[in-house]
Amino acid sequence: MSNATQSRPWLEALLQVLAQRAGHSATQWPSARDWCWPTRRSETWRFTDLRCLTQLDPVRLHTRTASPRWPDASILLPSDPVSGKQLPARHVFLQLDGRGHWLSPQGELPTWPRGLVPLPTEEIIPGQVAQTVIPSGTLPLGAQLNGVTPSPALGLQVSGPDPIHLELAIQVEQAQAWLAPHLLLVLQPGAHLCLSWHVVATAQAAVMPMVEARLGLAAQLEEATTAWGYPGATFLGSSFMDQSPRSIYRRTTVTWGWGLSRDEPFVRQSQGQAETCLHGLAVARGQSLLDTHSTVTFDGPGGHLRQRHQALADDRGHSVFNGRVVVPQVAQQTDASQLSRNLLLSTSARIDTKPQLEIVADNVQCNHGATISCLQDDELFYLQSRGIGRDQASRLLQRGFCEEILQQLPKTALAWPSLQRLLEIPVPDQP
Amino acid sequence: MTSTEITPFCETPIQPGDVLLAVENLHACVEENEILQGVSLQIRAGEIHALMGRNGSGKSTLSKVIAGHPAYTVTAGSIHYRGQDLLALSPEDRARSGVFLGFQYPVEIPGVSNLEFLRVSCNARRQNRGQEELDTFTFEDHVRETMAIVQMDPAFLERSVNEGFSGGEKKRNEILQMALLEPLVAILDETDSGLDIDALRIVANGVKKLALPTTATLLITHYQRLLDAIIPDFVHVMAEGRILRTGGKDLAMALEQRGYDWIDETDGSDTPQP
Repeated sequence: MSNATQSRPWLEALLQVLAQRAGHSATQWPSARDWCWPTRRSETWRFTDLRCLTQLDPVRLHTRTASPRWPDASILLPSDPVSGKQLPARHVFLQLDGRGHWLSPQGELPTWPRGLVPLPTEEIIPGQVAQTVIPSGTLPLGAQLNGVTPSPALGLQVSGPDPIHLELAIQVEQAQAWLAPHLLLVLQPGAHLCLSWHVVATAQAAVMPMVEARLGLAAQLEEATTAWGYPGATFLGSSFMDQSPRSIYRRTTVTWGWGLSRDEPFVRQSQGQAETCLHGLAVARGQSLLDTHSTVTFDGPGGHLRQRHQALADDRGHSVFNGRVVVPQVAQQTDASQLSRNLLLSTSARIDTKPQLEIVADNVQCNHGATISCLQDDELFYLQSRGIGRDQASRLLQRGFCEEILQQLPKTALAWPSLQRLLEIPVPDQP
Repeated sequence: MTSTEITPFCETPIQPGDVLLAVENLHACVEENEILQGVSLQIRAGEIHALMGRNGSGKSTLSKVIAGHPAYTVTAGSIHYRGQDLLALSPEDRARSGVFLGFQYPVEIPGVSNLEFLRVSCNARRQNRGQEELDTFTFEDHVRETMAIVQMDPAFLERSVNEGFSGGEKKRNEILQMALLEPLVAILDETDSGLDIDALRIVANGVKKLALPTTATLLITHYQRLLDAIIPDFVHVMAEGRILRTGGKDLAMALEQRGYDWIDETDGSDTPQP
C-alpha cells in the first residue's frame, strides 16, 4: 500500500480537525482530494517514509508547548571585549507559547529593539515569498501543512546595518503536539539580522516551522537552527529566501534525533550577484531518518553559492541529501560549489546523497562532490597509540567530523545544554 | 583486541639496566606478506638504540607491531614489556603502560583540537600511573610549559591535530606528545625525516632531555646526522625482516661511509647482542 493510500483517511481527518479549529466548515477548507500527497514513487520522496507523521492521532492534536531552559543570559549576550561588560541588547529572545504566540522567556509580549518592527497582520500573507521563490507554485509538504494549520504568524521588518539578534525557541514535551509557526521577514536594504532557532521535541509530536524572507539590496541574514527530536517526533521545516543583489544569506542547520526530519530550504537569487552559504549537519542514529532537500536558483548573473552538507549515520539511521542547484542561461558567471560529506558507521545505517546541478549557462564555475566513508583505521590507531580507548577515539573522530559545521553556529546556539549534551561535548575523559 | 578499562601495568620502580623491552624471534605479516622474519632485540632502561636499514627492511613494521597496529598479524615470537606479554594488550593499553610510538607520518585529524587530544591522552596515561587527572586549566598550563622543550608555538594547541602543520611541526608535535606521556619506551620512527637543520637540533635536544636512566629510546633512522646529536648505545641494522648486525655508534658511521652493501658482504652472526 502506498503512502498516499495509507495517508488519505489520516489527511482527511487532519484537515477536518484543523478546519474546525480555524472556525471554518470542512467545505471552506482544502480537501484531501486537493492535495498532492507525496508518494515513494516520486523522486523527491522515494527515500522518505511519512509514517512517523501519520502515526499522530488528528483528533488528539494540540498546540501546548513547554518553557525552554534558556542558557544563562551572560552566555547569550555578547560582552565588550575590553571591559567585559555586556553590550546593550539588540537581542530578542522569544519562545512559542501554546496559542502560537511568541513571548519573552518571562511570558511577556516582546519589546522590539530599534530596527525591528512587527508587520501589520494584514501584510503577513502566508506563501507570499514562497510563491516567488518556487515559480511552479507547488509548496513542499511542510509548508502546505503549515499553511492549513491555524496559527498566528510573526512578521518583522528589519532595518539598519547594526546586527539584530533574534533567538526563537520551541520546546515540546507533550505527545500529540502539532506546531506550525510561520515567520515572515522583510529585510530592508543593508539590514542585518542574526536569526537562531532552537527546537526540542521530547515527545511524539510534529513541528513544522516555515520561514519566508525577502532580503533587500545588500541585506544580510544569518540563520542558525539546532533541532533535536524524540525518536518518534517529526520535523518538517521549510524556508523560502528571496535574495536581492549583494545580499548575503548564511544558513547553518544541525539536526539530530527525530523519527523523521525533512528540511527543505529554497533560495532564489532573483537577480544574481548575491551570496548564499548553506551548511548542514545531520546526525542520524537509532532509526532516525534525516532528509534535506535544498534548492538554490540563480535568476541573474554573478551569483555565489557555498554549500556543505555533512551527515553521520549510525545504528539504523538514514540520511538523505538532495542538493539542487539551478543555473539558467541568465545566470552567467555563477560561482557555485557543493560538497556532501558523509560518515557511515554501521552496516545497517544508510546514506543517500545526490547533487543535482542543472546548468544551462555556459560561462559558470560550478562544482560538486560527495564522499561516503567510515572512520579511518589510521586515525583510530593514531589516537589509540596515545592511550585513548577505541570507543572514545571513535567519539572524538565523530565529533571532529561534526566540528566543521558546528564551528559555523553562533556562540548563542552552542550555549544550549541540549546541544552540548547530545553531541557529547566535551568528550568525557573516561574511555 | 579491545579494552574497556584502564588497568595499572607494572608500576614497580625501574632501575637502570632493567630489561624494559624484549623482542624474541618475532615474525609478523600484513595481508599474508611476511615482513618480520625473526627479529630479536632487547632494550634496557637507560639505553638508546638506533635501528637502521634499507627502505622496506622492516624497521617501521617492527615499530608498528610493538605499538599494536591492527593491520599486522604476529605469526610467531613474542614481545615482553617489563616482563609481561605486550602482544596481549590493546594499542591503547600499551600506550597507557608507557610504550610510545612517534610516527613517521603523523596523522591529520580534522576537527579534533590538538589541545583536547593532548589532554585526553595525557590523562589516560596519568590514570594508568595512578596520578590525578588534570583539568582543562591545569593541563593547559602544563602543556604550555612542556611546549618549551620543542620550542613549539602555543597557537598549535588551538588547531586540529596535525592539520595544516608543516613536516617539522608535525614532528615537534610528536615529541611534545612524548614529553606529556612520559613513556618508558619511546620508539621514534624516522623522526628526523623532513626536518631542517634547526628543527632537527630542537627535536634531538627534546629527545635527549626526555631520555632518563629509567627509560629507553629506540631511534629508527636512515641518517648519521640524528645520531651525531643523540649518541646511541647500540646500533642495529635490519635487512629482510631481521636484525643482521648490531654494534656501537661506530657501526652507524661505518654505514654512512660504506653503505648497506657492506653489511650484505659481511657476516653479522658474530655481532654481540646488547
